[in-house]
Formats: sequence, C-alpha cells, structure tokens
Amino acid sequence: MKVLIIEDEISLLRSIVEYFRKEAYLCEGAGSYADGITKIEDFYYDCIILDINLPGGSGLDLLRYLRTHNKQDGVIIISARDSLDDKIAGLNLGADDYLVKPFHLSELNARVKALIRRKYGQGNNQVALGNLTVDISSRTAFIGKTPVLLTKNEYDLLLFLLANKNRVVSRKSIAEHLFGAEADNLPSFDFVYSHIKNLKKKMKEKGAEDIIETVYGLGYKIIE
Amino acid sequence: MTKNLQQKHTRYLFTRLLAVLLLGSIAFYFFMRMHAEHMQLKQLELRQRNLQSAFLLQQNNQMPVHITGEYDIVENGTLSPQQLGRPRDTVVFYKAENKNLPFAILTRPFTASGRHYQLTTYVSSTEIDHLIIKVFGTEAFLFVLLFVVIIYINYKTSGVLWAPFRATLKKLGEYDITRQQPVVLSADTGVREFNELNEVASHLIKKNRQAYHQQKQFVENASHEIQTPLAIIRSKLELLIDQPNITEQVAGLLADITEANDRLSQMNRNLLLLAKIDNNQFPGTAAVNVSALLEKIIAVYREHYSGEFPEIATFIQPDLMIDCNMSLLEILLNNLVKNAVVHNIPGGCIKVTLEGHSLLIANSGKPATIASERMFERFSKGTDETRSTGLGLALVKQICQLYHWKVDYSYLDGIHTITVTFKAP
Repeated sequence: MKVLIIEDEISLLRSIVEYFRKEAYLCEGAGSYADGITKIEDFYYDCIILDINLPGGSGLDLLRYLRTHNKQDGVIIISARDSLDDKIAGLNLGADDYLVKPFHLSELNARVKALIRRKYGQGNNQVALGNLTVDISSRTAFIGKTPVLLTKNEYDLLLFLLANKNRVVSRKSIAEHLFGAEADNLPSFDFVYSHIKNLKKKMKEKGAEDIIETVYGLGYKIIE
Repeated sequence: MTKNLQQKHTRYLFTRLLAVLLLGSIAFYFFMRMHAEHMQLKQLELRQRNLQSAFLLQQNNQMPVHITGEYDIVENGTLSPQQLGRPRDTVVFYKAENKNLPFAILTRPFTASGRHYQLTTYVSSTEIDHLIIKVFGTEAFLFVLLFVVIIYINYKTSGVLWAPFRATLKKLGEYDITRQQPVVLSADTGVREFNELNEVASHLIKKNRQAYHQQKQFVENASHEIQTPLAIIRSKLELLIDQPNITEQVAGLLADITEANDRLSQMNRNLLLLAKIDNNQFPGTAAVNVSALLEKIIAVYREHYSGEFPEIATFIQPDLMIDCNMSLLEILLNNLVKNAVVHNIPGGCIKVTLEGHSLLIANSGKPATIASERMFERFSKGTDETRSTGLGLALVKQICQLYHWKVDYSYLDGIHTITVTFKAP
C-alpha cells in the first residue's frame, strides 16, 4: 500500500509518516506543490493525503491536475479551512474525503482505511480480528457466526477501534469521531466510557475475548 | 438640569437683555426727567426776563401784579434768599375746573425806581408730565418689541448656525465601528469651526477603523497561525500515548497535557470563529428550520450526555423558519443548550420555549459570579467550571449582532434565562 503525504508543515508530516509506519504502508512525503507534482507524475499511490495551503500552489490545483490527467489515486484533503463551501469544492474536484485540521491521527488512519477498503476492497467488505468479524456492507458485527446487536454509536466505535488496532485511541478522538467537531460542546467525554462499557458487555455475552483495553486515563486500545 | 445649546443661549440672552433693557429704561426716564426740568427752568427764566422788561417799561402802573398761572409781583417780598433763584413745585387752584394743577415756579428779586420787588413766574407741569409719560410709554413699547424680536432672531439663528453640528453629532451617534458602513461628514458646512470639527472627526474615525480592522485581522491571523503548532502538539501526543510500556505516572502527565492542549485548541477555534463572524465570513444565508435544528441538537445532546441529564421541558413551535447561515445558527443553539446543561445543578431542570420569533432557554443553576451585563463579554466566566472557555456566550452575542437579533440574560430565583428574539422575516 503506497501513501503520499503532501504537507508543508514538516513536523506534522513526520507525525503522519510515523503513525502510518505501524500500518506497514509505504509512506512518502512531499513538502511543496512542485515536489508533490513530481511525485504524482512518477508514481502511483493508493492514497494521497493532501494539504490545501502549499508553498508554490494550492492543493486543489494539484488535485485538478491529478484528475485531468486521469489519475485515479485516492485523495484525502487535510485543511484548516472548515467551511462547507471549501469541503464541497474539494469533493467536487474529485477528492474522496475531507478532514479538517487539527485532526487526530487515529481519525486520519480510519479515513485512509475506509478509503482503501472502498476503492480496492473488491467485495471483501469485512474486517476481522480473532473471532470477531465486522461486515461493513451490512453494518453488523459477528462473534464467530453469532451476530452482536450494536447501536449505531457502538458499531462506529468498534470500527474506529479496529481501524486503529493495537494503538491507544484517545477519548477525545473517539468523541469527535462519533459526535463530530461539536464534541467540543460536550461537558465531558464520559459518554465514551459508557459506550465502551456497553460494547464490552455485549461482546462478552456472545463469548468474545476481552480485546478492548483501557489505558490509564488516556484512552482505549483494541488488541489482537 | 442640562439644556441644549439653543435653549442655553436664549436663556442667557433673555436674562442679560432683560436686565440691560430695564436699566436702560430707568436711565432713560431719569434723563428725560432731568431734561424736562432743565427746559422748565429755561422757560421760567425767560419769563422772568420778559416780565421784568415789561414791568420796567410800563406806564402808570397799568400792568396787573398777578395773573393766575402766569406770574406774581410782590413788593417787599418776604422770601428768604435761599428760596430765591431756585425752581420750586407748587399747585394752583383753578376754580373753573375745581382742581389743583401742578406748576413749577421761580422767584427772583428785582429793583425798579428804588423799590424792591419779588417776581414769581409760573410754568405748568401738567403738559410736561403728560409728555414724559407718553414718551416713556413709547419707549417701553419699543423696548419690549426689541426684546421679543432679538430673542426670536437669536433663537432662530442659533438653530440654523448649529445645524451642521447637530448633523455631525447624529452621524457620529449612529456610527458603529463593528459595521462596515462609512461615515461621510460634510467638508463644507459654511462654518470654519464645524469644517474643522468634521475633518478631525473623520480623521479619528478613519484611524479607529484602521486600528479595529487591524485588530480583527490580527485575531484571525493569530488564531490561524496558532492552529498549526496545536495540530503538531496533538499529533505528537497521539504518537506518545501509543508508545509501548508507558508507566501510569507518565500516562497521567500525558492525559493532563492532552486535556490542556485540547482546551487550547477549542479556545483557539472559538476565537477564530469569532474573528470570522467579525470579518463577515459567513455570508451565505438560507431559510433554516430552527424548530427541527433545535429538536435535533437537544436529542443529540441528550444521547451523548452521560450522567444525570436535567429534566427538560420543551415547547417548540414546529417549522419556524429563519433566514441565516445554518452553521452559525447551529453554533448558537448548541452553545445555549450546552450552557443550560453544564451550568445546571444536580436534579435541576431546563425549559426550552420556541414560539413566535423568540427562543427562551431557562435553567436552574447557581448564581453567576459576574454581573449580568458582563455575561456576553469574551473570557468573562460566570462560573468556576474549568472546562469553560468563556467564549460560548460571546459567540452567541456575536451571531445575534450579525443578524440584528436581540439577546438577553437574566437571573431570578435560581433560574438563568436567556432569550433570543429573531428578527421577523
């Protein structure tokens, strides 16, 4: 899996590359518009993570270039611009997803995985871990062959943890994943705890192993 | 009591002019009196000369020694030297009219053929008195007329003269720096002082606008710039918490840093939002269904709230439409609902009423630690709640200002009430 990250903030670029290293992606970085153009001309990437404000040009122009040259690389825009118009403009130009900065790396990771699954899944719409299987198309989780009845939030939470398996996912990133940017308005993220508790209970009832770990006050982790 | 300039000017003139005219009248009267007396003396003296000549030229003493109201000639008169040569007042009885008439008299001694006489001449005072009264009356009438006309002209003139000043004052009063409309003050009012005033005021406004604009731009730019380091810190923290073999102590530190960083991000995002509203970057308006949006926000909020949710009573008139930017309305409603929940007390309640064009959100809670009128200021917190950014109500206020909606806060008997009146479409 090849991923290109076009981001002029080198420190942020390094964070993303390091985060993805664990996923065994082949990561490359580009720090400017020109650099980005050279890379996408020479290689094919499964996913391009694209910043809009770049030295030497706009990420949107780069996206336009990509699509007019009939390159079908998956693109996720990461931008500080959070207005609806910006999002629509990006998606209309052929971006697959749009993530507003500042974002959680776990969220970016989940988006990349969802994109790759959509684009290259070829009918394999299942995520499995031990005896747990999640069928994406029917939005159902199974323990062995037994379906587990989950609420929408619990299902989203499970899928989010699975996308970031073996990683600590912070409560805030879970809250934002479930609730969007408006999670800021919540007085506490304690509701994440109750969703986790319910999820664990339901999975245990169906005979799953205890794969969700609580990491001190930091967050949660699903382990293989 | 403060009067306006025109009234003040008129009042000032009124008292001063009245005093001057009164004093003038009194002086006029005395001067006239003095001149009249002088004239009477001259007449008396003229008669003295004429009668003495006539007396000396007569033959056989055929000239009468007494004519009422004209003269008296008395031989060996008994008047003292002090009384001689000075005019005196007296009255003479007229039988025909049966009344005393006032006269001025003058007595002088003279000698003829070795005999001593005293001659008294008479001049009637009645005509002079009548004349004085008539002249003084005319003068008084003229003074009153002058007084009224001067006051009136002055009143009108100061009204006209100060018109440019009042125009300037009105424009300055209407000026609102937060709106973008320019202020045009006339450069040629016809009065140099007012031209100067307008010039100075225009200059001041221009400079203020520049400063205000720069400040707004600064907040937006600063928030923008702060975003990147915050994003970097967040990403590094995520990498950090994912490190293997973290001790509980380190985890505690990381949790605290993460929380502080998240708070900073949230604050920065709100500041940026405030700056953007300030800079009019939410132009798109559409008819938004407030009722549906409010119901959704309350439902979502309740779903994601862990712990005891306050008892909530809602009365929401269905399908109320308002022209505004959907995101902004969402921010406004979210903030109000959040406040009602967060600043509540255990076992408290919330009342939400959306009716006509007003939204009322009331919740039980402890009294605020700041004055009601400071409630909507930036960074003024009415609570000790540490997670509060102090920007929520500032955002609400800003959004309301943008759309000219009215927002009020009140606290009574343990109930906080916020009312937003949406402008009628």
